[in-house]
Amino acid sequence: MVKPLLSIKNLIVLLAILFIFLAMGCSSENSSTEKEGTTKEEKNVKMIFSFKSPNMDPHTVFTPIRAGVTETLLKVGKDSHIEGWLAEKWSTKDNVTWEFAIRDDITFHDGTKLDAARVKASLERSIDVNESLSGSLKIKSLEADGQTLTITTSEPYPALPSELVNPYTSIVNTESEKEIGAEEFQNAPVGTGPFKVKNFIPNQEVQVSKYNSYWAGEPRIDEAAIQFIEDANVRALGLQSKEADIVYNLPAEGMKAIEQDKNLKVESVPGLRSHFILYNQQSANVSNVKVRQALNLLIDRKSIKDDIMLGHAEPANGPFNGTLPFGLSDKVQELNVEKAKTLLNEAGYTENADGSMEKDGKPLTLELITYKARPELPLIAQLFQSDAAKAGIDVEIKNVENADTHLAENTDWDLATYSNNTSPRGDGSYFLNTAFTDTGALNVGKINISALNDVIQELNTTNDAEKRTNLTKDAANIINEHAVHSYAVYPNIIVGVNKRITNWEPTAEEYYILTHSMDVK
Amino acid sequence: MVLVVLFLSIFTFGLMKMAPGDPVLAILNSDEMIVTDADQAKLRSSLGFDQPIYVQYGQWMIGVMQLDLGTSYMSGKPVWNEIAERLPITLQLTAGALLVMVGISVPLGVLSARYPGKWPDQIGRIFALIGASIPSFWLGLMLIYIFAFKFQIFPSGGMGSVSQMILPSITLGFTLAAVYARLLRAGLIETLSKDYIRAGRARGVKEWRLLWLHAFRAALIPVMTVFGLSLGSLLGGAVVVEILFSWPGLGSMAVDAILSRDYPVIQGYVLLTGVLVVVLNLLVDLSYYLIDPRINQGKRESG
Repeated sequence: MVKPLLSIKNLIVLLAILFIFLAMGCSSENSSTEKEGTTKEEKNVKMIFSFKSPNMDPHTVFTPIRAGVTETLLKVGKDSHIEGWLAEKWSTKDNVTWEFAIRDDITFHDGTKLDAARVKASLERSIDVNESLSGSLKIKSLEADGQTLTITTSEPYPALPSELVNPYTSIVNTESEKEIGAEEFQNAPVGTGPFKVKNFIPNQEVQVSKYNSYWAGEPRIDEAAIQFIEDANVRALGLQSKEADIVYNLPAEGMKAIEQDKNLKVESVPGLRSHFILYNQQSANVSNVKVRQALNLLIDRKSIKDDIMLGHAEPANGPFNGTLPFGLSDKVQELNVEKAKTLLNEAGYTENADGSMEKDGKPLTLELITYKARPELPLIAQLFQSDAAKAGIDVEIKNVENADTHLAENTDWDLATYSNNTSPRGDGSYFLNTAFTDTGALNVGKINISALNDVIQELNTTNDAEKRTNLTKDAANIINEHAVHSYAVYPNIIVGVNKRITNWEPTAEEYYILTHSMDVK
Repeated sequence: MVLVVLFLSIFTFGLMKMAPGDPVLAILNSDEMIVTDADQAKLRSSLGFDQPIYVQYGQWMIGVMQLDLGTSYMSGKPVWNEIAERLPITLQLTAGALLVMVGISVPLGVLSARYPGKWPDQIGRIFALIGASIPSFWLGLMLIYIFAFKFQIFPSGGMGSVSQMILPSITLGFTLAAVYARLLRAGLIETLSKDYIRAGRARGVKEWRLLWLHAFRAALIPVMTVFGLSLGSLLGGAVVVEILFSWPGLGSMAVDAILSRDYPVIQGYVLLTGVLVVVLNLLVDLSYYLIDPRINQGKRESG
């Protein structure tokens, strides 16, 4: 009877040893985070982003601009108009030679004054580092004279200001890259923003502290930490536990609990993205415009907004969000099965005995491609499938892993759910050029409408802001008329915020997140 | 070993190239930037995608011979650096999980074996059932919910401090522990009924000596065999736990690389895990000699 007791004693000894090991681990690894303990007067903010950042190079990732570390020459304002930022004003006579007046009162984090020569060096670095920039900026030469930067483009290029809003063109001090080395610079770029990088751990976290001599005024908060967490539920819990003050991309199912907490609120602002259905022009089934128009009537946009997006979206009436200056003000198309049937009849389809539409004895069966990267898209596909069935159309849903490739490499699909940021930099020309022109990388449905091509061509050579707005609207109208895409909803940007954060709200373009005016109670 | 790795690399290279898609659109960031077909074609040929697969494989293999795994398409950094950045994170997670696993499974396994059919054994059985059937993402979420949200003892994610290590380690170690506790129990019960143990008892050898020095060692053999396998998979990265607690280890690196078709990173990862598994199994085989000297001497002595 004594024997088993002895073995228990041994177990205790073993457990004790384990504990000692654990304790040893404690003392050796704690040092790095101990420093975070701050004095009471310091204002700290913690945010959680859903996208990871492998480095802090402003020319390859967006995180530096989002963390308030770097800034661009121009920015998009609240109403999606392009305004000056590091450049006070800009002008051009012929859309080829551009003059930018760089602000005179700006210093980099290391104290160096910002002048045109530094902007030039920075832009040259960005084109060097980023594959896609040379195509989008079309810069032939750069000239710096004091605070005036002259850009000459390789062709008349009215979209240049919009492209200079691109975070990849952030201005950094390239001199300091040479000083501190490329590796170090990638982790802590020297920019002009209200915050400078204090510590960066790849794919995990970035900590920033305020830059006291920030040109637009001293930042209100002292330090901020941004964590990258991919799991949506964990992000929501981070907000609920008050660990984090601002959390991007909350999961729909966690929203209720957050709304009930009186210290938290959910900010839901219109975004720049559109969820839509695109049609394959190479498919015999949907090459008839009447069929596409009929299908367009079978999208229940209200139900998508209320039941799939749980209210955090706006029903769509065109490629661009109606809140944008170049968005359309048309009425949102409602679900209309009867009219859809009429249109199908006009296209030569007749309803057969089973209630399904057929032409020449062949029932109308469509293949709809969807993908899971955006979880709401397969749901939209299912809703569409059931509504299409009411009009006698048989929709087969096919879930693919990589939609871009599948759509580009196959020609036998009919429809696809898709999602795109349709006006990333306060301008529609990106989307029109990539998704509708012959050479566009995202024109998987091989859309080629001559009237639309003309409008896009004209847009590409027009400088006047008002004319551009009108041309973009014209293009949107042509797109709707030909129903080459059917726009479903504009999803909102959903951000959970602790109410102690003041003077801050999420913005549609998701570029300018940490600002100098953000404050805490 | 070289053969295993060679076969592995040919196999993954082939599969990878057969899978639809390539990283070109992602490199050009077509979601935000104007990209034309010509841009794509240019990049494709500069990456060598227009060449036959065997040429691409040959080029990669020549690099590997010179210990050059190439550079990542996405980050532009050498694959070695990518791996070196993430390996310590995975090692830390593995170490934590093993600690939890040993801390739970050894006491539980020994107690269950000492008192088969009694309450410690019952508890062990229930625990094993729970441990084997709980998916780790759910366990992790529950742990975060309870400890980070309800009680606010531990942070919900991130790494660096020990308090941030505890939840991921438990999540990963718990499910493993369940299996090992049962394995250990089975092994111990079997060896405790062996003749040499009875002989030892008859000679008045103390029970704890018998248990820890004689029975435990013999019971470890099957445990070690399985251990070698799970250590390999642990070092390959525990994707679910890594993503849940935002520990960017090898597992999430591999998943990201696969999703973006970052071929050099995928190949480097497969090669590394292949080598790791082979080496680990070798070490496990060698450890048998240490644990049980009888293997070395043949089965001469039997108590």
